[in-house]
Amino acid sequence: MFNYLIKRLFHMIFVLWGVSTAAFFLSNVVPTDPAAAALGGNARQEQIEAFREKYGLNKPIYVQYKIYMSHLLKGDLGNSLRTKRSIIKDIKQVFPATVELTLSALLVSLLLGLPLGVIAAINQDKLIDLIVRTIALIAGAVPIYWLALILINYFHAELGWVPGPGRLDAFIFPPPRVTGFMTIDSLLAKDFEAFWDALRHLILPGLVLGSFSTALVTRMTRSAMLEVLKQDYVRTAHSKGLSKNRVIYKHALRNAALPILTVSGNVLGSLLAGAVLTETIFSWQGLGSYATTGVTSLDVPAVMGVTLVAGIVYSIINLLVDLSYALFDPRISYQ
Amino acid sequence: MRKTIVLLFLALFIFPLGLAQSSRNSTLVIGVDLGDLITLDPGVCYEFSCSTIGDNIYETLVRFEGTNLSEIKPGLADSWEFVPSATGTNLVFHLRDAKFASGNPVTANDVAYSLDRVIGFAGPSSFLISDVLGIDIGDTEALDDKTVVIHLPSKTNPSIALNVLTFVTGAVVDSEIVKSHEVDNDWGTTWLGQNSAGSGPYTLARYDAGSQVFLQDNPNASRSGSLKRVILRDMKESSAQQAALKSGEIDVAYDFTPEAFIAAESNPEFKALRTDTFGMQYLGMNSGPGAPFEDNRVRQAVRMAINQDEIINDLLSSLGFKMQTIIPRGLLGADTNSYYEYNPEKAKALLKEAGAEGMEVEFLTSTGSCNGGIPCTDLAAKIQNDLANVGITANIRQMVAGEMYTIYRAQDAQLILAGWSPDYPDPDGNVTPLADYDAKSLAWRNVWDDETAKNLAKSGASESDVDTRLAIYNELTEYEALNGPFAILYQPIKAIVVRANVDGFVRNAQGSVDYTAISKK
Repeated sequence: MFNYLIKRLFHMIFVLWGVSTAAFFLSNVVPTDPAAAALGGNARQEQIEAFREKYGLNKPIYVQYKIYMSHLLKGDLGNSLRTKRSIIKDIKQVFPATVELTLSALLVSLLLGLPLGVIAAINQDKLIDLIVRTIALIAGAVPIYWLALILINYFHAELGWVPGPGRLDAFIFPPPRVTGFMTIDSLLAKDFEAFWDALRHLILPGLVLGSFSTALVTRMTRSAMLEVLKQDYVRTAHSKGLSKNRVIYKHALRNAALPILTVSGNVLGSLLAGAVLTETIFSWQGLGSYATTGVTSLDVPAVMGVTLVAGIVYSIINLLVDLSYALFDPRISYQ
Repeated sequence: MRKTIVLLFLALFIFPLGLAQSSRNSTLVIGVDLGDLITLDPGVCYEFSCSTIGDNIYETLVRFEGTNLSEIKPGLADSWEFVPSATGTNLVFHLRDAKFASGNPVTANDVAYSLDRVIGFAGPSSFLISDVLGIDIGDTEALDDKTVVIHLPSKTNPSIALNVLTFVTGAVVDSEIVKSHEVDNDWGTTWLGQNSAGSGPYTLARYDAGSQVFLQDNPNASRSGSLKRVILRDMKESSAQQAALKSGEIDVAYDFTPEAFIAAESNPEFKALRTDTFGMQYLGMNSGPGAPFEDNRVRQAVRMAINQDEIINDLLSSLGFKMQTIIPRGLLGADTNSYYEYNPEKAKALLKEAGAEGMEVEFLTSTGSCNGGIPCTDLAAKIQNDLANVGITANIRQMVAGEMYTIYRAQDAQLILAGWSPDYPDPDGNVTPLADYDAKSLAWRNVWDDETAKNLAKSGASESDVDTRLAIYNELTEYEALNGPFAILYQPIKAIVVRANVDGFVRNAQGSVDYTAISKK
């Protein structure tokens, strides 16, 4: 296991080097001037020149790359051209918000997707199977921005059942920041009003962000369960007189877990990399919003920083998913 | 167990655990796109969000009141005089009694430090003090605790200087507090970007970058209102603002679309406010040697080919004024005359005369919204259509604003759709950039080097007599409407919607809102 881990970490380093290099050169291929973008349309030429000089934007590209990589090796992603702050600091500020939102979306997709997939599988080709597959199709096909606006307009504006955009009600003072998770920080501060409100604010964006992944999890669960339910050991379990639920959840679902785990891992990785549309519509200041603002304001260092973080997140999640296979399937070992 | 989970889940919907009503009545929540907010240091402020917030945290030497932007009123200075000097003019201000939020008294040394630091850290708005006022560090001098003098050079028009000093860049900061937070000679700008040290009616209670700004009333301020807290929430989507306003989550929405605004006008739950702006949307035409619009007949043809009324009535839903001149309504010298009419046939004749029939140009436009809240793509498409009707093929090339301005600054844009608003409420804020090639601003970007326009612009900038200045600008605006490199499209109205229980929300053409004048029923 240890050797396997070392091997994977080496792979990760190469992957991240590739990602950072690609991000650097692609960002610099854009035919525009980050200095002009940072200072705005009305800035004077001398201000732009001074800005370029200050941030090394007037140096040759290979020199800028060398400076970038040498800082990267020291763990320094540079400063944002827009906020002027350290990018690592900016990302630390926004990343917990994305994690909080992503975990709620994952929870939605598992809480809805797993049971729906199981129900569809055990009732294969019946009406309920058709209904579930249609729901999955719609959930996967409907555009996120449309769903977000419809849900906000109907459930928030018209019915008033759930809060709208933002992480907390405007009238509730945010708790002191410890982890960056609004729910955890409010519990740590024993501010139960803020905790409850933060939880409520996760409902709509969690549902929206979780819609596509719910569809994926539902279909993967159905497909995996159908394979497993045909197996001899399932028939044996039934014939031994075990209850239907025990057969399905303890025997069948556990054996169907590997592909579901893979899909969940991929989903988590893509969500963590930045739920751009959801965060923008729900005014959720996470990594997705930060990346969007970086792109539209041509904040090249910030965009490169986010790309690198996304690469790290994907790599770590892939590794964790692979390692967890051994938990679910004792036949797998990493020697 | 399952029942408990279900009940808990349902409770999330039912029990919002709301705050006491009295707290809500003394708190104003504004939904606005805070995407341009990167700092709250008033000396660095160059964007609308920072200026609007800064106007309520800080005070300037002089100010405007309400929507009257032609009469300068006392701010921290209760009187001032112009005293001629050997090198120009001395602006002498006499300060009234005032305290910062910290309890420190406002002194002339604070004024001197505040202006010196703006020059010192050379931020995006520093040119207003260093170039427009023409002063350097040390030119603002404290004669005693209550008297401060600014030594203006002879090139600076003292009237323009006073106008500039109403802008938040000239805000007075608590020098003792800011100096104690200086790091690496940064003039305290890192700290002040996320904190406050002003004497205005509000202090910065909390700033969650990119999320929201909390303002709390300042007990040491000389003026106050009924609002104890003002919260500005970042909401980029107009639909999200509309939903939040409807539900009561916010009290003010800044970014309704024109169609939604028209609908809000007939909704008794809301008050739909049409507020003035000094902004304008225009077409820039590259008039340099060999450029497509070098010949003024071609430029005039473009101006006559565009149906401004359709743009304003249809795209803007009447949320704009037809303008053809470079000084916006509300400023000295504003000219609302129409110097040319929409006449595609005449436009075609002009193009034929100039030998430019069937010309093709690259038409730059940005993503996002243009002035007035309409998508730039829609406006560009309308203009493209109007130009096509007279035989000009305008090939739209859409890009992010940063990229577009890079091309524009390099004088490489053939035809460009852009917006402009003056940095300070003085006609020179538009005239010099749009008429004086030597200023290296908009006239320069469109390669329009015209001696008549340059001379009139320079004369107007240095003229102190109001009537003479007005006459100069009348001549210039007419001349530029018929000869300049611009086709001014419209001056937008800023549409803001507030809930019906909000009174006193007044936004002036500069974008300033005095939160102390607002109350909630």
